[in-house]
Amino acid sequence: MQGLEALAEKDDRIMMVSADSMLAMRATGFAEKFPDQFVEMGIAEQNAAATAAGLAIDGMIPYFATYAGFITMRACEQIRTFIAYPNLNVKLAGVNSGVAGGEREGVTHQFYEDIAILRAIPNMTILVPADADQARQAAIAGASIPGPVYIRLGSGRDPVFFENDTPFIAGKINVLQQKGNDIALFGNGVLLNRLQKAADELEKRGMGVTLVEVHTVKPIDVEGVRRILKDCGAAVTAEDHNIIGGLGSAVMETAAENCPVPIARIGLRDCFGGSGNPEDLLDYYGMSVNDIVDAALATIKRKVIK
Amino acid sequence: MTERINRLKTIATQLRRDVVNTVYYAKDGHPGPCLSITDMLTALYFDIMRLNPEDPDWIHRDRFVLSKGHACPMLYAALARRGYFPPAELKTLRALGSRLQGHPVMHYTPGVDATSGSLGHGLPQGCGMALAARRRGDDSLIFVLTGDGELNEGLVWEAAMSIAKFKLANVIAMVDNNGVQSGGKVETIGGLVHLREKWEAFGWYVVEIDGHDMEQLVSVFENAAKRGRASRDEREGMLIVADQPAPNPDQPVMFIAHTLKGKGIPFMEGNNAWHKRVPTDEEHQLAMSILGGLDLE
Repeated sequence: MQGLEALAEKDDRIMMVSADSMLAMRATGFAEKFPDQFVEMGIAEQNAAATAAGLAIDGMIPYFATYAGFITMRACEQIRTFIAYPNLNVKLAGVNSGVAGGEREGVTHQFYEDIAILRAIPNMTILVPADADQARQAAIAGASIPGPVYIRLGSGRDPVFFENDTPFIAGKINVLQQKGNDIALFGNGVLLNRLQKAADELEKRGMGVTLVEVHTVKPIDVEGVRRILKDCGAAVTAEDHNIIGGLGSAVMETAAENCPVPIARIGLRDCFGGSGNPEDLLDYYGMSVNDIVDAALATIKRKVIK
Repeated sequence: MTERINRLKTIATQLRRDVVNTVYYAKDGHPGPCLSITDMLTALYFDIMRLNPEDPDWIHRDRFVLSKGHACPMLYAALARRGYFPPAELKTLRALGSRLQGHPVMHYTPGVDATSGSLGHGLPQGCGMALAARRRGDDSLIFVLTGDGELNEGLVWEAAMSIAKFKLANVIAMVDNNGVQSGGKVETIGGLVHLREKWEAFGWYVVEIDGHDMEQLVSVFENAAKRGRASRDEREGMLIVADQPAPNPDQPVMFIAHTLKGKGIPFMEGNNAWHKRVPTDEEHQLAMSILGGLDLE
């Protein structure tokens, strides 16, 4: 929201479209500061998405912000046909993504299919910022990307990974460490902390690890991913999303077409989540540090030695 | 007035001929749903709306959203005869590479203000367009035409609530109340009854009109347009029709237009087989003999 406020101050075409999501989005301040740029549609996501399309048709830059699943599922067709097809400048910000993002709310309010759904829609850009300050920057970056942009957000209580003001450069992979090439770890969002711990643990066990943040899942940085895969020859992907259709799929598709190597996916293993503490949920659903370490060790063994 | 009305009636006949020709040459399309809205579109595109066909994206233009997008041959015919593109192009409807897609697409077809065809989306898009016009301080009007069948969609009523809530008097909406949808009568298929009461309950000012009476159409649309462009103070007491109290200044206006599917071509009138059907050579000839005007050249 800080990002959106900064944008709205400079550009009066910036608007926030709410589906009674002002509190969930912590947008009370925005609504008070920019009453003419705040549009409350009520609990009606299809209406909100189609109205955002109407605003964008006539030159506004609306940010439709609410729960990730209500955007990508309830309003899926509105996004596909009325926002993405005409390539309108509508930005979508979805909270409660992943089991960790949805945490105690349970399955109705936690979403791990959003990226898979939106990846299949042409013209979409998909950004997965790691923490609150990165989300602020992603919101700002989104405004200068033409066409529809989806910004995937967690619970708002997500662990901090980056120092404030660490640059967020959309469209490129972000290499966090390059300490050898036994294995590449690709990840994003809430799992970056766990990936860093896994990288440290692997290092203790004598493995050289390249750790890469892929915050722009679509369009994926094909050349960047290919370069890392070529160097390391094996990879693990990790995301708080179904292993079908998300970052893991994007990296595997890139690998299969450009640089086939063994890859393992960490994420929800095609199942639904449930209520709980976010850290416990990630452990329970197969996204623990140990799960990443084990996947890495197993994948290294599958490497083809030339 | 008579001259003005006669001119529009002649145009309406031409557009009916164009629609039949378009569907006949394209060998695909929905003639019935086009013919029930012909007179309304004629009044709007050839008399009421503020347009500039030389500059289709002119920011101060009035917008039109054809929510029942399957009736786009009618919209395309109106745009062609209004000078947005050559009428001969109508023959390319639904062909590979044509600017005239099977349902309307903005950015493809000059003059098409919004993508439509998946039903129920005209009003919420119109809501956003009207909010944008208000924000620009522009007195552009947003005309939205929906079918009656498409009122089955819940999204329509979400938007109905929002447009009334935002007090968008710059939205002028019409229901093409021809009483029939793809599979049969609207009462039977979706249970659509008490249409007037529904819109009124959602806060709209409702006027029931004869969607084929050109004199009435011009009169009510002109009043609604004048009101829609006026300031809130000026709107106080402005009438849409003489025999009905004025809307309150904040209300959006909904015209429930009583229409006939297939209107103007006797063998199509009221026959729902023409919802989506291509005329045979004989039927095409017969229609041409009934309708005056020019061919698609």
